[in-house]
Amino acid sequence: MKISYNWLQNYFEEKLPDPEKLSEGIIFHSFEVESLGKIGDDIVFDVKVLPDRAHDCLSHWGIAKEISAIFNLKLKEKKYKDFKTASTNLNIKIESEKCLRYMGRVVKDVKIDKSPVWLKNRLETIGQKSINNIVDAANFVMFDIGQPIHCFDLDKLESEEIIIRNGKSEERITTLDKKEINLDESILVIADKRDILAIAGIKGGMKAEVDNNTKNIIIEVANFDAISTRKASKKIGILTDAVKRYENEISPELCTQTMDKITNLILDIAGGNAEEIVDIYPKKLKQNIVFVSVEYINKRLGTYFLKEEIESVWEKLGFEYEEENGEFKILVPLLRMDIIGQHDLVEDVIKILGYERIEGKLPKIEWVPKINEKFYNISVARNKLLNDGYSEVMTYSFRNEGKVEVLASASDKNFLRTNLSDGLKESLKLNQLNAPLLEMKEIKIFEIGTIFNKNGEEIHVAYNEKKEIKEISLEEFCKDINSDFKLETKNYESKSAFKPWSVYPFISRDVAVWMPEGENGDKLKQILIENGTDLLIKEPYLFDSFTKDRKTSYAFRLVFQSFERTLKAEEVEEIMVKISNNISKNSSWQIR
Amino acid sequence: MENEEKKGREHPLSIIINEAVKIFTELGFEIATGPELEDIWHNFDALNIPKDHPAREMQDTFYIKGEKGKVLRTHTSNVQIRYMEDLVKSGGNPPFAIIAPGKCFRNEATDATHEMQFYQIEGLMIGEDIDMAHLKGVLSYFYKKMLGEEIELRFRPSFFPFTEPSIEFDLKFNGKWLEMGGAGMVHPNVLKNCGIDSLKYQGFAFGPGLERLMVIKYGMPDIRPAYQGDLRFNQF
Repeated sequence: MKISYNWLQNYFEEKLPDPEKLSEGIIFHSFEVESLGKIGDDIVFDVKVLPDRAHDCLSHWGIAKEISAIFNLKLKEKKYKDFKTASTNLNIKIESEKCLRYMGRVVKDVKIDKSPVWLKNRLETIGQKSINNIVDAANFVMFDIGQPIHCFDLDKLESEEIIIRNGKSEERITTLDKKEINLDESILVIADKRDILAIAGIKGGMKAEVDNNTKNIIIEVANFDAISTRKASKKIGILTDAVKRYENEISPELCTQTMDKITNLILDIAGGNAEEIVDIYPKKLKQNIVFVSVEYINKRLGTYFLKEEIESVWEKLGFEYEEENGEFKILVPLLRMDIIGQHDLVEDVIKILGYERIEGKLPKIEWVPKINEKFYNISVARNKLLNDGYSEVMTYSFRNEGKVEVLASASDKNFLRTNLSDGLKESLKLNQLNAPLLEMKEIKIFEIGTIFNKNGEEIHVAYNEKKEIKEISLEEFCKDINSDFKLETKNYESKSAFKPWSVYPFISRDVAVWMPEGENGDKLKQILIENGTDLLIKEPYLFDSFTKDRKTSYAFRLVFQSFERTLKAEEVEEIMVKISNNISKNSSWQIR
Repeated sequence: MENEEKKGREHPLSIIINEAVKIFTELGFEIATGPELEDIWHNFDALNIPKDHPAREMQDTFYIKGEKGKVLRTHTSNVQIRYMEDLVKSGGNPPFAIIAPGKCFRNEATDATHEMQFYQIEGLMIGEDIDMAHLKGVLSYFYKKMLGEEIELRFRPSFFPFTEPSIEFDLKFNGKWLEMGGAGMVHPNVLKNCGIDSLKYQGFAFGPGLERLMVIKYGMPDIRPAYQGDLRFNQF
């Protein structure tokens, strides 16, 4: 979520720490801050609010509360102006359990206008478009407190009655952005006597849109079931900022202060006369009480926090609590719906006190680990094959055909492999083409991996014998291994760095030279290196040598390749000519 | 005369897995395994991931056609559940410590740092007093052995349904902080789901990806060659 630094500052009397420091505090005590950017005279943080706190932190107020706890800064007390309310004729009917609370308020004689500059700035800073004072006020309060709000034009309704009910399969709505949406039983709607006014918690409709001629409005501050809102949003393919809040199960308690704030703001910037609130709240949320002890917290964290330190966390988070003999009774704030048991409070403690306070130590447990047969067999098979000169490859588990199919895939391969052989064949072909690069006389490869058949999965071993691929189950493979084959523990001490390879084709050339018996090939190799240029990507590789009639033949393979382009045969020929000329300078040598 | 190499070359991921297993075995961990084609109970439900959790959605999970309730495991955490269920069934109790390297699958587009198949190494240690300081100690020990004594480890807040508290951990390697993976204290619901007394026992779990460790250790620019069957990849 985009969070404005200046907007946050409004929550505090004291000056906030500078943006960098603020960001660091948020990262190590609350959430990841993905970016931090300057917009006008403001700084905008992109805060990745964690899923378990999205119900109370997807707002400036939510983040301000975190900052207050992290930096021990006091939150300003919010005061709303008093205003008189007139009696109301508004009638609200909830006909579905998916609506947990519905607050409505009529405000008459508002003046639709452009938003004041401060409001426009706030919204534009976090990437929101300014529309008019009423719509902007609703948007602003949502990004401020985290509770979505919708405003209807009262005069466009059939009567002063709002019904919250399940949709019907023949019903349709035209949304504010002029999309035609087909509804059904699973989608909750806001309706008047005749038409659908909005898709609950997702998007408003055209019928009761607030426009430049609007005079009288209904403010909706409501709470809808998280799961059905998410499902409906997916079904109709509309994801709004309101959905992002409802789907994370915000507290129905949030409605009260939201209604106060939005009414105040609207009266302030659009004038008008507010009527009384109509509040339908069938099942009031009960406050959760959780007991947690200093001992329990330290036992789970491996820390030695004092009672006073833990108490300071409750204070900073604004929790009401009582304490007796090191045990706390916490009255969980109604907005903190994530705190269910004592284990949840442990996280709040360590987040505020800081994970750096945990000092690592190695555990000692009394038990005897067993040998895992499957893993042991895989290790035996792998080492047997490695010892026999086979190199290990891994290929994809997904293929174009098979017996087990996945429902949807980001790739074009929808089946799980029924064998390793098909993948190994492709690998063999690739590596045979690359044989000059690999300095191998013969390509010997194997794979150990899971295959999938109709009756389940099984681990197979596959390897090649020349061009032929052999594949058997791991179990069978291990049965055939001589019992005196021992699995040695290896020490891996390679510190060398990985060398990437060129994606362009290579060209290989062989050079064989006769020289008098007793001379070694080093001088020849040196000539090859000196004249091979940068395009010679590996040391010349001696692939053959033999002695006959008091002469020894040395045969080297040269591999040329560029990291930037495809080599031309002519340029390699040029190098080869230079090499021949230099070899010919040795009168006792003969190029074969 | 140069010698023809007699031994074959091991895949770098196998090297990483073997090295990891060796380090954890020395710390007293037992190796555990589980299926790649898994049921929803072991992959999601038992891990406290509710039915409508976004992680269960199609874009991340490979569901199997014609086999309702089966998925390609999205993490090695299924091994936690299978191990604990078996332990309880056979009349056993904590303490125990397991390590489970294994292949996992996520339905996401492939790039230099993401593959649809990847390896995770799951760690789980449960006892009467296994705490978060032990988690820090074990992870720090492991990565020092893997990458050198000079590395530093730090925790940041995170969220996973199967751990509480949940953390993300970073390593400082060659002067830079790198995100390595997730971990936390096993959520009491997970222990309960396996039939273990969550008031008596507690412990930690972690599940970092192994490709990440491989590319950091060897300085690899791209993970994709790992599954292309190309022997040029086997450099170590």
